[in-house]
Amino acid sequence: MQFLKIFTPITIAIFLIIFDYKFSYLNNLRQGISTIISPVYMVASLPEKLYIWINEQGRSKEKLLNDKQALTNELLKLQVKLQRTDALILENKKLNALLESSYALEQASFIIARIESVSRSRLKKQIVINKGSNNNLKIGQVVLGANGVLGQITQTTPTSASVLIVSDPTQYIPIKSVRNGIQGISQGLAENKHQLVVQFIEPESDIKINDIFVSNALGSKFPNGYPVGRVIQAEQRKNEPFMHVILEPMQKIYDLEFVIILDSL
Amino acid sequence: MSTRRPYIFLLKITLFAFILSALPFNSEILDSSPFWMLLLYIYWLVNFQDKGGLFIALILGILLDILQGDILGQNALALIIASFFIINVKQSFYVSNLSTQQVYVFLASGIYLVFFFLTHALIHGWNGNYYLLLAPITSTLIWPVVQFFLVKCKHQ
Repeated sequence: MQFLKIFTPITIAIFLIIFDYKFSYLNNLRQGISTIISPVYMVASLPEKLYIWINEQGRSKEKLLNDKQALTNELLKLQVKLQRTDALILENKKLNALLESSYALEQASFIIARIESVSRSRLKKQIVINKGSNNNLKIGQVVLGANGVLGQITQTTPTSASVLIVSDPTQYIPIKSVRNGIQGISQGLAENKHQLVVQFIEPESDIKINDIFVSNALGSKFPNGYPVGRVIQAEQRKNEPFMHVILEPMQKIYDLEFVIILDSL
Repeated sequence: MSTRRPYIFLLKITLFAFILSALPFNSEILDSSPFWMLLLYIYWLVNFQDKGGLFIALILGILLDILQGDILGQNALALIIASFFIINVKQSFYVSNLSTQQVYVFLASGIYLVFFFLTHALIHGWNGNYYLLLAPITSTLIWPVVQFFLVKCKHQ
């Protein structure tokens, strides 16, 4: 009798685990319940919001003026850089026209969000941002920091979204080397190291320490050309069919306050 | 051991457990933090009826999976098996002193951790996060505090 009492709920739980992992039939259920319980996220983030609000209220006028001056200077520098980029885009268009190529640089639009918390699950490396389906965010959208790719949206509620970061072991990103175009697939390393391992790099490939790997549009999940990581270890191990390459993510999650969410590809 | 509205009380402690589970902490603190849902549910199981307790554990676990973005059923499976253990020692738990209760809480948290981690390891592979091993210890240490507050809430 005791066995029967536990048998049914355990069977349902195992059934859910298999279905959630193998298929996507339960995504709508998950999304629906997630929306219903989303006020919990809001209540849980209240102390932090209050802290930020108090911090913002307490800033002196002098500090604000200094910040404004620094930001104006930064804006000027970025505008100068942008002029160079605009010139390169124009040049690229002309060359494409000459070559009759269909390749074109995309002008992506984006949404800015604030990070609410760094992690909510014990075994997943994820962050929670303060914008959700009310701001048209969808599962699968790519999230960037100021220095590179941060991750991908995995769950949305009306007012928040969870982002699985690049260093999570379940996150795979097609990448390529900036220096020579060698392609691979990055995967987050287990443990709390915040590093990535690059898979499927041919033996004796030309990979050096400090090489930069950027996202690759292969598979149409990630945009092309955003920095993902820098090589910190590259070696050929005995009896292994591929090179062992470890990257340090370009975008660290610590000290990051705002993120950019790119439109769906 | 009876109350007129045990399910209202369950609803309240569930909401409280969800808020505690969703609090924004860095990964090290989060990994080693107590299993809030389990602790509060143990209190409910021991002090109120256990009829359908495993099905309630299933529902609470699924809600926790959705809240934390885990695989659907991962927390549910762990919570069902830990609750099954508590239901079996319920009488003994109820009459025990605080230290013996802490031993039961430690065992239940250990069972929870094993099944929670096992599900993850079978699906995503080994993830050597040693901070997780602290969770049963913190759960055990915080049990007297949890119990103190819940007794207060129960009598209000």
